[in-house]
Amino acid sequence: MSRVGRIVSEFRAGARAFLRRRTAVFFTFFFPVLIVLIFGVLVQSQPTGGGLFAEPPGYYLPGYLAVVVLFTPLSRVGSEFARHREGSRFEKLATTPLARWEWLFAHTLVNVLVIGAASLLIFGLVVALTGASIAVGPHLLLLVPFVALGVTLFCGLGAVLGRVADSQDGVIAASNSVALPLLFLSETFVTPDLLPAWFRPVTDFSPLTYFARGVRYLTYEGVSGAGAPDPTTLALSDLGVLAVLAAVFFVAGAYAVPSGD
Amino acid sequence: MNAAVVAEDLRKRYGDTVAVDGVSLTVGEGEVFGLIGPNGAGKTTLVRCLTGTTEYDGEASVLGAAPDEVERSRIGLLPQSFSPPERLTARELLEYYAGLYDDSRDPEAVLEEVGLADDADIWYEKLSGGQQRRACVGITLINDPDVLFLDEPTTGIDPTGRRGLWRVIERLAAAGTTVVLTSHSMDEVERLSDRVALLADGQVVATGTPNSLVEQHGGDPRLVVQTEADAEALTEMGYRIEEGAGELTLHGIGATDIADAVEALSAVGVSYESFTWTEPTLEEVYLELTGRRFGRERSRSRVVAEDGGERMATEGER
Repeated sequence: MSRVGRIVSEFRAGARAFLRRRTAVFFTFFFPVLIVLIFGVLVQSQPTGGGLFAEPPGYYLPGYLAVVVLFTPLSRVGSEFARHREGSRFEKLATTPLARWEWLFAHTLVNVLVIGAASLLIFGLVVALTGASIAVGPHLLLLVPFVALGVTLFCGLGAVLGRVADSQDGVIAASNSVALPLLFLSETFVTPDLLPAWFRPVTDFSPLTYFARGVRYLTYEGVSGAGAPDPTTLALSDLGVLAVLAAVFFVAGAYAVPSGD
Repeated sequence: MNAAVVAEDLRKRYGDTVAVDGVSLTVGEGEVFGLIGPNGAGKTTLVRCLTGTTEYDGEASVLGAAPDEVERSRIGLLPQSFSPPERLTARELLEYYAGLYDDSRDPEAVLEEVGLADDADIWYEKLSGGQQRRACVGITLINDPDVLFLDEPTTGIDPTGRRGLWRVIERLAAAGTTVVLTSHSMDEVERLSDRVALLADGQVVATGTPNSLVEQHGGDPRLVVQTEADAEALTEMGYRIEEGAGELTLHGIGATDIADAVEALSAVGVSYESFTWTEPTLEEVYLELTGRRFGRERSRSRVVAEDGGERMATEGER
């Protein structure tokens, strides 16, 4: 009970603190919407024309979701980290019963809820504005653990970046430097065949690749067909990898939370 | 009296910088213990060592356990530059920190105690500086700690706010809470502390009650006379006299000697614009001991000795 109470208390404070920063809330939702509007509506995909967006619109849904699953936790946890350090909040928390992992878990929960809501918005916008065709079924419920584990993973990485960077500016620069390459080299917007053959195995080292692949198996009709392996089974395989990576990054992030000065 | 906080030969380095250099001290249960010293003297680092929020060499204990192993609910810390989530109200902040403990005080009672009951629903960032600091003290009290570490609790607060916080600390002390307090405000430390340690360069330079420190290191009570007269004119008065620009300082004049001294000035025909009598205070102890430590420049003032001879003032006399 006491552990749950501590996490709930930290979660409630973290959620209130975030929801009351209106600009942060606005841009958390506006940024992915902007990406959908620019790439999905203005640029549009051209399945027969080649170029960067040569696949049908549904192919890019994992990419749009990856924008929030990747960027938001990195920047939010990193910034929260910087705010905590600048305000000596970690020093204060170190003298309370709250464990480091409990702090990160509470803030991860806040991110899961916020990014879950943003993901729903993106999902709806992509379908409504780009005409993406989605394979509908109960298997779509697996998107929930995909988003939750993806957010957990990048919250852990955000904590590590927050520990390494010594200021809010440093956190933003570090998270952008990490997030931008990951976003475009993880089978999200750039298809593997657009990359040099020697580079393609490198994308397997990106955790975001397993998120993008798994979500695509669940949502994109282009991956199913006669004789093809069951997409849900393939998605579960990626979900397993994502779960292991999320656990590793969460533990690393929890260790990165300072226990004092 | 049992010891609530013990440090023995405590040492802490940050790279090449020695922040705490062999500090030993004991704080008794229910005692208010003041830590004073210049910026960089090691006060905050010492508090961090004693709260288990930094690693150190040497021995330390709080309530009989190592600082990082003591039951968290029994200690409270107000870090020096603490700033809680700024868009929570004072009430929400207290509820938040109360939720981190199995057994905490009623947030409403703490709000009342720190004088924020009427402003409990205002966001922290909208509170005045004094109210913010009182909210921070309230956060520190929410677990009803046995030992409380307050690192410069009144910095940046107006005099009214400071006095409000002093009353809170005095009530805690009266209730038996052990308080370790750092401050740059000598009147604060003098008023609140049972005992004081003066730190400089990471070392304890002096320890004792405020009165004993003043007696040992504060010098004499003195009468400062604004006058253009020369010190030679007063040699027969029998006081040690220090000559400064437009003023003469007569040392060793107690409160009951003021009238006699003023009469004596008139008797020798010295005219003056005004005079000020001062008792030695903890601030003078601080300036004396840290000034000596940091090699204060020799004053240009002359001292006219009681025997009428003249020499430069020694450090101990300044």
